Amino acid sequence: MASAASPIHHRPIFSTTMELRWARRPVTRKPHVLRLPPSAGPSSVPIYISTRPGHVDPGALRDLYTSCNLSCRRFPDVGPGRRVPEEEEGGDGRGVPLDKLRVALAHSAVVVSVFCRDEDLSPDAEQSAVVGIGGLVSKVLPRVDPSDGRLVGFGRAVSDLGLTASIYDVMVIPSLRGMGIGRMIVKRIVRILTSRDIYDIAALCSENERPLFEACGFGDDILGSTTMMYTRTASNGHGVVKCAGPNLLLVPTPKDRTASSTSTNSLN
Amino acid sequence: MLAHNLLLPSPSSSSSSPSPFAFDPHRRRLPRLHPLFSDAAAAPARLAGASRRIKFLPLKSSFWETIRSGFLKDSATQIVDPPISPEEEEEILPQEFLLFEKTLPDGSLEQIMFSSGGDVDVYDLQALCDKVGWPRRPLSKLAAALKNSYIVATLHSIRHSPESDESAQTKLIGMARATSDHAFNATIWDVLVDPSYQGQGLGKTLVENLIRTLLQRDIGNISLFADSKVVDFYRNLGFEADPEGIKGMFWYPKY
Repeated sequence: MASAASPIHHRPIFSTTMELRWARRPVTRKPHVLRLPPSAGPSSVPIYISTRPGHVDPGALRDLYTSCNLSCRRFPDVGPGRRVPEEEEGGDGRGVPLDKLRVALAHSAVVVSVFCRDEDLSPDAEQSAVVGIGGLVSKVLPRVDPSDGRLVGFGRAVSDLGLTASIYDVMVIPSLRGMGIGRMIVKRIVRILTSRDIYDIAALCSENERPLFEACGFGDDILGSTTMMYTRTASNGHGVVKCAGPNLLLVPTPKDRTASSTSTNSLN
Repeated sequence: MLAHNLLLPSPSSSSSSPSPFAFDPHRRRLPRLHPLFSDAAAAPARLAGASRRIKFLPLKSSFWETIRSGFLKDSATQIVDPPISPEEEEEILPQEFLLFEKTLPDGSLEQIMFSSGGDVDVYDLQALCDKVGWPRRPLSKLAAALKNSYIVATLHSIRHSPESDESAQTKLIGMARATSDHAFNATIWDVLVDPSYQGQGLGKTLVENLIRTLLQRDIGNISLFADSKVVDFYRNLGFEADPEGIKGMFWYPKY
């Protein structure tokens, strides 16, 4: 009965590169009551979560980094109170340098981005009246597009696509925190990596990111390994230094001949 | 601010200026160093081995002679420092240089070559992992990991027999690799040196060269996860444990 040439559907590995999810703030009252007293941000927001790197606009991403008070350099750790220094070597004074961000995105094995509609971010989104049947439809079945939606969450992972992977730069804008978006991002990254048969997944996180990762199934290394980062600066060594963002890291030189080397240190 | 570490050539060696010569990618031979040469004008060669990124480039004339002249006839160990090159091109040029060479009691010459070209035979690597006592990992995954790592640095021991007719025997004795997003972050994995060659500073050289290459690319976040036994080794190289509260967490599937 079937025709001779039946089309073969090739399902891509990830059948949905974009999907609609509802992010909800946890309620202390009965579960079906969604309205909370007006707090920072809406209580229920439709978001689109995407795994296509092409959906991320580097400019919007840079603004997200700034509004989350993050920089791509791990340290000095700015902490929750201080602002990230906007001066970045080679940048235009507006945060993370764009060209390096593009390179980083191009070489990240997994890129997850979360979008939402602009109107949902405004503080009176809840109270706006539903106008007509069109308004009702757009409230129940929202259409969020990466082209006109706002980037509100992001996460990426670098991997050798064989054995190991590292997750970096997971962030959600402050007004939409506490709604499970961060967890959605991390779980999506982990799901993609495990579907590619990578189970050795590491995440370098600061103190305030630990609860997020613990909630997603991360923990301290069972083999007891110590996380270490290269921090040798000119103050505890001598020789050539290299500017790496706000730090001046010491470049190891091959076999210092004499203690009083004839090296030239130029530090500005 | 890149400052160059300028070292003057040692006064004892003959002061001939090093001559640049063009890469010949098909020539995978070693620099013509005779163990008993009298003139110290041989500069460490930079050959591009059979690696995937091969460019024709005239060598930059920033070598200096680092070979000390005057050594004993038997069991001579000579140290050759790698050249520090000025501003590199955008891509990583695979580097290959001689670390040192030694004349063994049976008259053969053993050379230790460093290479960042990533030319590793995955079976050799598996055998080396067995030698250091690491658990076995699937070969296909190992090969994929090597292919997609940003830098793979290797140490090979090349033994030339006294009769120059026989070909040299090459053996993999050390490896270190780093994954990176090419812009901000890098993680060093899998640093290993053959047990019979440990204790000579080879591991230190591997890691230092990795760090140098990464920093020259302006990749500032260099991290690694060290076993408890080697934490001090990395501390001596300039790594700090849990800097400013940054810890590494690992994913564990919940069944």
